[in-house]
Parts: sequence; C-alpha cells; structure tokens
Amino acid sequence: MSEALTVDTLTSGYGEAMVLRDVTLRVMAGEVLAVLGKNGMGKTTLLKTIMGFLPAYRGQITIFSKPTIGEPPHHLAGRAVAYSPQEQAIFQELTVEENLKLGLGRRTRFAPELKRVAAFFPFLAERRRQLAGTLSGGEQKMLIMARALIARPKLMLVDEITEGLQPSIILRLADVLRREKSANGTAILLIEQNISFALSVADRYAVLSRGEVVDAGDARQPGADASIAEHLSV
Amino acid sequence: MPDSAALAYPVRLPSQRSRIERRLLLVSSIIALALAAAGPLLLDTYSVSILIRSFLYGAIAVTVDILWGFTGILSFGQAAFFGIGAYALGLTVTQYDFAPPVVTAALIGGPLVAAAAAGLAAWLGFGPKVSPLYISVITLVLSVIFVQVIYSGGDFTGSSSGLSNFDTFDISIDGWFRIAGAFLVAVTAAGWIFVRSDFGRLLVAIRENEQRCRYCGIGTVRVKALLLIGSAVITALAGFAYAGYNDVIAPDLGTQLVIWVALGGRGTLIGPAVAAVLIDFISAWLSGSLPFIWQLIIGLVFIVVIVLLPQGLGPAVADLFRRGRTRSVAARLAPLPDADVAGSGAVPAIQVASVSRNYGSLHVLQDITFTAGAGELVSLVGPNGAGKTTLIRCLSDGQERSAGRVAIEGNPIGRLPPEACVRFGLGRKFQTPNVFDALTVAESLRIARSRRERLSVICTADEVRLPAAAMRVVQATGLSSQLGTTVKHLSHGAKQALELAMVLAMEPRVLLLDEPTAGLTKSERSLIGEVLVQLVRDHGLCILLIEHDLEFVREISSRIIVLHQGSIVMDGTVEEVTNSELVRTIYTGEPHAVAA
Amino acid sequence: MAILFLDIITTASILFVVAAGLLIVFGVLKIINFAHGGFLTIGGYAALVTTQLHWNPWMALPVALLAGLLLGAVVELLVVRPLYARPLDAILATWGLSIVVVQMITIAFGRGTNFVQSPVQGAIPIAGDTYSLYRLIMLGVAIILGAVMIGILQGTRLGLTARAVIMNENLSRSLGINSELVRFVTFSIGSGLAALAGALITPLLSVDPLMGVPWLLNAFMLVMVSGTSLIGLGAACLVLGGAQVAISTYSSPVLGALSIVVLSAVLLRIRPAGFARA
Repeated sequence: MSEALTVDTLTSGYGEAMVLRDVTLRVMAGEVLAVLGKNGMGKTTLLKTIMGFLPAYRGQITIFSKPTIGEPPHHLAGRAVAYSPQEQAIFQELTVEENLKLGLGRRTRFAPELKRVAAFFPFLAERRRQLAGTLSGGEQKMLIMARALIARPKLMLVDEITEGLQPSIILRLADVLRREKSANGTAILLIEQNISFALSVADRYAVLSRGEVVDAGDARQPGADASIAEHLSV
Repeated sequence: MPDSAALAYPVRLPSQRSRIERRLLLVSSIIALALAAAGPLLLDTYSVSILIRSFLYGAIAVTVDILWGFTGILSFGQAAFFGIGAYALGLTVTQYDFAPPVVTAALIGGPLVAAAAAGLAAWLGFGPKVSPLYISVITLVLSVIFVQVIYSGGDFTGSSSGLSNFDTFDISIDGWFRIAGAFLVAVTAAGWIFVRSDFGRLLVAIRENEQRCRYCGIGTVRVKALLLIGSAVITALAGFAYAGYNDVIAPDLGTQLVIWVALGGRGTLIGPAVAAVLIDFISAWLSGSLPFIWQLIIGLVFIVVIVLLPQGLGPAVADLFRRGRTRSVAARLAPLPDADVAGSGAVPAIQVASVSRNYGSLHVLQDITFTAGAGELVSLVGPNGAGKTTLIRCLSDGQERSAGRVAIEGNPIGRLPPEACVRFGLGRKFQTPNVFDALTVAESLRIARSRRERLSVICTADEVRLPAAAMRVVQATGLSSQLGTTVKHLSHGAKQALELAMVLAMEPRVLLLDEPTAGLTKSERSLIGEVLVQLVRDHGLCILLIEHDLEFVREISSRIIVLHQGSIVMDGTVEEVTNSELVRTIYTGEPHAVAA
Repeated sequence: MAILFLDIITTASILFVVAAGLLIVFGVLKIINFAHGGFLTIGGYAALVTTQLHWNPWMALPVALLAGLLLGAVVELLVVRPLYARPLDAILATWGLSIVVVQMITIAFGRGTNFVQSPVQGAIPIAGDTYSLYRLIMLGVAIILGAVMIGILQGTRLGLTARAVIMNENLSRSLGINSELVRFVTFSIGSGLAALAGALITPLLSVDPLMGVPWLLNAFMLVMVSGTSLIGLGAACLVLGGAQVAISTYSSPVLGALSIVVLSAVLLRIRPAGFARA
C-alpha cells in the first residue's frame, strides 16, 4: 500500500499560539484514519495546515510523495485531494449542479459523474437546479460529500461531517465512506467527535489533545472506543 | 479548557491603570496649554496664523478618529459640518451686522444645523442591514451637496470665491492662537477620557460585532448617530471659530482629514491630532512653492502608510519608546445578589401564533403555534432543515417572520429589531460563537451587563457584577482565570461558554439557546444542563433550546417540541415524545422519510 | 418626447459603460476601487494624446484600454494585493491613488480643459429632429458590453469560477481555483474598462484632471444600488439615469447633477439590497 498522506512532526498555529505540536500521522491508500478530539484541540487546524491555509512552523507534509508545505491551496485539488470543511462548505447562492461542477475538474464531462454520485444521494439529481442554500442542513452535508466524491479523489479530508445530523443520515454517510474506501482505494482522513460513527468507518484512529497525538491504534480493536472516550471526556 | 496560549502575566485592575493615565493626561494637558499660551511669543506671525487653522483641524481630526479608529465609522462629512459652522457666522454677520444676538444665533444655529445634517446622514447611512461603507458614501454626498449649494448661492453665499470682509470679533491673532490651542487640548483631553472609559470599549465592540451588541439590548444605531452628531457639533464650532478669526471663508476643507487620521494612527487619538497639525502646517508653508508635488507626495506617503504601516506612523514612533512587557488589565468579577428575575407568571413567557417564514416559494416555517411559560424547559428537536434556527430568529427579531404574531412576556414584538426584543427580557445564544474578538473576557461580560449597569463615559469600573448563573458558567469553564485574555485567543469551546455567560449576564427571563453544548466535553455538558435546570426551577425562567443530543434533552427538559419540515409534529412531555412512533421514524427512520 | 427618451437611454448607456468595470471589481475583490475615476481620467487623456498625435480617433479606444489594463495590473500587484485582508484599507489606498493620479496628470498636462476629436461626427434625423450619432453608438456599445459580460458570467466555466470567487474565496481555493489570479485579472479588466469608458466619453465632454470625480461618485452609487448584478446595474442606470435627465431638463441642471447620488442614498436606505434579485 502506498502512502497517501504523511504528516511529520508538524507544528503550526495562529500567530503566536501554537495549536499543533509535533504531530505525526500517516494515511495509506484505501485506508480511513479517524482523528478525534475535543474542540479547540487542533483538529480543524490540522486540516487547514494540510490544505495550506495556515503556515507550518516546523515539520513536513507529504501528499502522494510530494511535499506540500508552501504550496497554495488551489494546487491540491489538482492532486486529487478533496477537502470538506466544517463551516461554509458550499456556495449557498449557486445551484446544486453548479456546486457539484465546481468540485469537478474543467475537462471532465458532468452528466455521467452526476449520475454516479446521485446513486448515493438521489435527491441531487432531482433538485439539481435548486439553490444550495435552500437545502436542509442534512442535505447540504450530503451535497458536501457528493462534491468531494464527484472528482474521484485519491485523498479525502473530511471535517466533522456529521455535526448536527440526525442518526439516519449519519448511517448513510458511513456507508458511503466505507464503499468509497473499498471500491476506489481512496485514502480518507476523517476528523470527528462522534466516536461511534468514526469507529464504524475507520481502520485506524488517533486522538488529538492540546495539539498533540496522545493515543493511536487500530479502530477495530475491542477496547478502542473506551480508550478514546477516556480522552474525550474530562 | 483553558487555552494553552492564555497569558500568564499578572493582571492589573482598571482603576489602577486609569489613575496612572489620568495623571499623565493632566500633566500633558498643562504642558500643552502652556505651549499654547507661550506660542505666539516664540513663533513668527505667519506660523501663528497658520497654526490657528491647524489646531482647529487637529480638534476635528480627534473626533474623526473616535468615529473611525474606534467605532469604525468612516465619515467624509466633516467638510460640510465645518463649512456649516463657518458660513453660519459669515452669512448672518454679512446680512445682519456684527452684534451679540446675531453672533449668538450663529453660534447656536451653526452647530444645530450641522447636528441636523449629521442626524439625516445617520438616518440614511446607519441601519440593520446596511454595509459599513454606506455611511462613508452618505457623508461624502453630504459634502458634495454642501459645496454645490454654496457654489450656486450666487452673491448670497459668495459662491466659489467665498464670503469675505465681514465684521468679526475683535481678538488679536495671538488671542485666537490661544483659543484654538485651548480648544484642541480640551477636545483631545475629553476625547481621551471618553475612549478610555467603559463606554469607549463599547465603541470597539460595535466596530467588531454590531449584531452581538444589539442582542445585548444596545441601540447601536442610536450610539453611532450620537457620535456622528457629536463630531458634527464640534466640527461646526471649529468652523465658527475659524470664520471668527479669518474674515474670508470658502469651501476648501476637502477630505484630507481622513488622510491625516490614517497617517497619524487610527485609534490613537493623539496621533491624528499631531498629524493634522503638522501636515496642515507644512502644507501651508510648501503650497506656495510646490503645490501639486506636495499633494502628490502626501498622496504617495498615504498609500505607502496604508499598505505597509496600517496603524499609521504614530504607533510606530510610540513603539520606539515602549519598554517592558505589556501587562493585561481586567476587571474583577463580583457576584450579584440573587434577584428574582422570574416573570409574574400570569403572562406566558413565549407566545407564538401562526408564525410562518417563507423565502419566496420556499416555506421554511408553516403555521407555528405554541405557548411556553415560566418554569418550563422546552427542547426544540427535529431533523436538520426542520426550521429550528429559523424559529429562534423569528422569536428574537421582529422583522424576520413572514406572518403570524410573537409575544415575549406578553409584549408583542411586532416588527421590532433585536435590541428591542431583548429588552423584553429575551436572551439569545447563537449556534456558532458570536462574541467580540478584540475585547477581553472581562470587557465582553461588562458589555453584556450594560443594559442593567450603565457604562460610564468617564471611568472604568473595577468590578463586573454577574448574576449567579453567569458566575457559575464563568468559573466552571475556567474563564474566571482568563479575564484579561483577548477573546480572539480563546478556543472554540471557551468562546461558546463566554457567549452563554454573556447572555446569562443580561438576566433574561426568556432564554433562546441554539445548540448550547456543541463542542463541549461531557462534564461541561452536564454542568450546563445543571445550570439550565436550576435557572428554570429556582428562578422561574423559560428556556427554549435547540439540541441534537437526545440524552441531554431527555435529562433536562420538561417538554419537547418536535419540528419537522417546518411544522410542529408533536408537542408534549418527555415520555410522550420519546415513546412516540412518529418521532422515532423521523429520527432514526427510513431514508425516504429523510428526503426533506 | 422622442428626444427625451433617447437622452435617457443614451445617458443610461454611458453610465453603464462607466460603472461596469467598477461593478466586477466590487463583486470579485469586494472593494470599491476609488481609483476608477483616476483610470477614467487616464483613458480620457489617452484619447487626448491620440488626438495630439493626429492618429485615427478610433485608436484612442485600444490605447486607453491597454493603458488601463497595464496600469490596473501594476496597481493590483503593488497596492491591492497586499491589502487583501483589509478591504476597507484597500478602498482607502485606491482613493489615495486617485489623488496621486490627479496630481500627476496636472503636473504633466496642466490644469486646463482640453478637447478631444470625436471619431464620429454629425447627427442622424429621428422623429423630425436630429440626434447625435455618437450618443447612439454609445447605446450600442453598452448593450454589447452588457451582453458579453453576462454571457461570460452565466454561461461559461470562467464565469462560474468568477462567481464562485465572488461568493466564497477560500472555498474556491480549496476546490482548485487560483483566486489570486482571478482577482488580478478582474482588477485589470475593471481598470481597462474604466479607461476605455474614459476614452469613449471624452468626445461628448471635455478633458481635465478632475473629470473622473463626478463619474466616480455616480458609478459608485449605481454599483451600491445594484448589488453585484449586471442586470441590476442596467436597471439602476435606466431608472436613475432617467431621473437625472428628467430633472435636468425640467428643473435645474445643478439638481440634475446631484439626482443620482441623492436618489441612490434614499433608495439604499429603504431597500439595502438595491436592485439585486430579491
């Protein structure tokens, strides 16, 4: 298996505040790594640094064997990286269709790709001309996932996609991610606070606390959820 | 939860800092006044005559800095206000001769007209959904119109050549120098005291997050309008003084004030005053020999300063003198005696009748009707897109709903803006933290208390008094050890806690909470749950909260309303709702039921 | 009556051509480019230079456009891009730039008014009267310009990209859009359009260093009223331009000159979204 994403002793933050300290982790192709942790512990900062929205003070990030620190964010999409941020993740005033098109490269034909993602989320095809901002919260999250999938990414960075969602949709998303991983060999870095969702999808997990990795292991081990829960509570 | 970047410096009380500052202010003012008195003896006549105007401009620059540097209101209208004050004197004296009643009329009339113009500009330029750029536009328009009016006034106004040779005060140039100097010192000193007071922090809060201020019950539009009017009055007085000194007036104060304030240092007060005086003085000396090149240079320097030194030259110079580390200053917390904040109980806390909200053809809420009373903890649950946040918006802002009636504590909210709804005893916490990034924790709490405890325009209080509920939240989440920390450096969870504390600090009778536990740990969640239950049980509050954590909802609610696709599908006790088939289907349900 | 109608639609056209560049810069970069008036003036003086060099008057247009594009590119790189995180300061910096432009032109060409040769002379007969041919050409220019811009924005991938950057720049970047380039190109085009507009209007008026100021103010108000919609801009130009013409004709030219600005102010108070689609 090849390495999709390697983060090596990464230290970054905002201004003077170091949020991440010496973080090292790795996601292989076809594997899901769940990064869990309480709020303020650095999970979103990690993704923003990987994407290049935040500078790194120390360490290195490698995506498909190429170092990415210093590269502007828009280069990553070209490397088949799909980013689903936690907030402001869709264009409210563009239609569903336009949102999806923007997830797709310029040269790819839209119709067959739409059909493919609509298989997971049928409402996308039915409501392609609807303004994305008028979709419900759960539908918007599904649109975010569809947009990430439409470009056939090799690496997905997913930030708390289940926040605020009802259980039935969470189950659906878990299903989609598992299928994506096994069918296409996509590497997925999953940021989450929902332990059961994370463990139902992930192969391995890491726990981030105060910007450091304090626990890591196999997600399928019996004691994993208890071990993680300990870190996520007081 | 304390952020790893929290300051570890010792914290000083505001009154300690105030005392030092006041002493400095007094000393500097005395020195400045002495300089003003001695000036004419040391400078040549030409310099003295220029400086009279420069001093007046400096005073105006101070007010522009208060408007812009502190409150974020970029006004280009000072040219008009100055002109109004000047022409008030010039015109009346030209028409009616120089006599005490005439002069008094001009002294009062000029500032009055300027205040009215500022009021009109404020009415046009400030408003809930209006961009901050807009007031700049309106004030610029005001200046343009003023110049046009003067130009087309023919002989009456002197048109472009200006009014001249009108009789005026019999005061020597030296006398005018001292008057102008004293005026500058007075305005600067008063301005300084004002911006360092608690009210001064409110100016910054308005600049940072006007919405949050309104939800703390502060009439921000009124505050901004009063500031603009205040600046207009002082500017008109400066114009009056200028016309009194110089018997020729023409519309020529352009938009340089903004440049001077920018170069001197926005938000520093002293910087703009110094910059205005210096640049105007130098311009007068140079404009004889190199008029356009000097303007060109100023323009270029202005651009360079904006790009490279946004804080202006003032702070760059001041930094050369700064020594030692900065210590943080914060007020102490003090508990407020437990007041009974419950409503009478006779009137329901929340009454909603046939409320609906449409966006064009999209119906987000349809025919919502329910009532909630004191002592109830109502959880509003439902799948995403059910309309929960929209409902909260309709309850807290009279302009949000499309139809129906809402009453808080028996007061219909009609089409009232949030600050008015909040005054009926309503508190709202937003889904994502809605706080003041540039203020400290203590300052934020004080702003939240401002409706109950007025902010002083002169002093900084040493204590922030918090009601028990707010105090509990602050202490349990560690915010009490971060009173001097700037909010920007707090973590997401700490900001959530701060916002909740701020809302509780307003002693509301009705609380609207949008996912208050999002991002909190398990222990914090149960703490918040305890606090909410206590508020309802011991203080008779009515709480309406949106939550996804069904465990949490089951533990603390007295009643659950289930919203689905914009309508209430169930409204009942915890048992009824949790045992309901319908609700189970909606939540855990089959995929088809979810296609909302 | 016919003349009045023609005056209204040709005035609206001129306003549209002047304001279009300001609108796209406002939409993509979120700032009002106060140097727009300066670029307009540069375009006007480009036309003057073309006249003085005795070239074909139509050459003024590409010369002005090129000058605007190049200068706009330089300004974007040196002044606007560093101020990316501080939009209000960017607006101020462009305002400072307009002062600089006025001073430079004054130093180079003097303060006086000059006249530029019109590429097209004469009038055509309409409804028993004659009407300036050049003004009618302006109507055509505005329509073509509007159609091309809307076509690009709504119908092409480039337009979708621009709209995405207008709505949410960071999200666009994470989807692979080089937003810095989009901003650079937009600002240059906006400046180019401003200069082009300047060259187009000079045959109708005259050229002096301060010619840009009243146009900037009007364009500014029109852009605020129309939000970020080109169609909204067209509507605003028609309604407000029409008001200006009517008031100038039936009341006084001084009031007419102020009418766009005053009416826009009131309009924005009543309906802050302006003419943009509700």
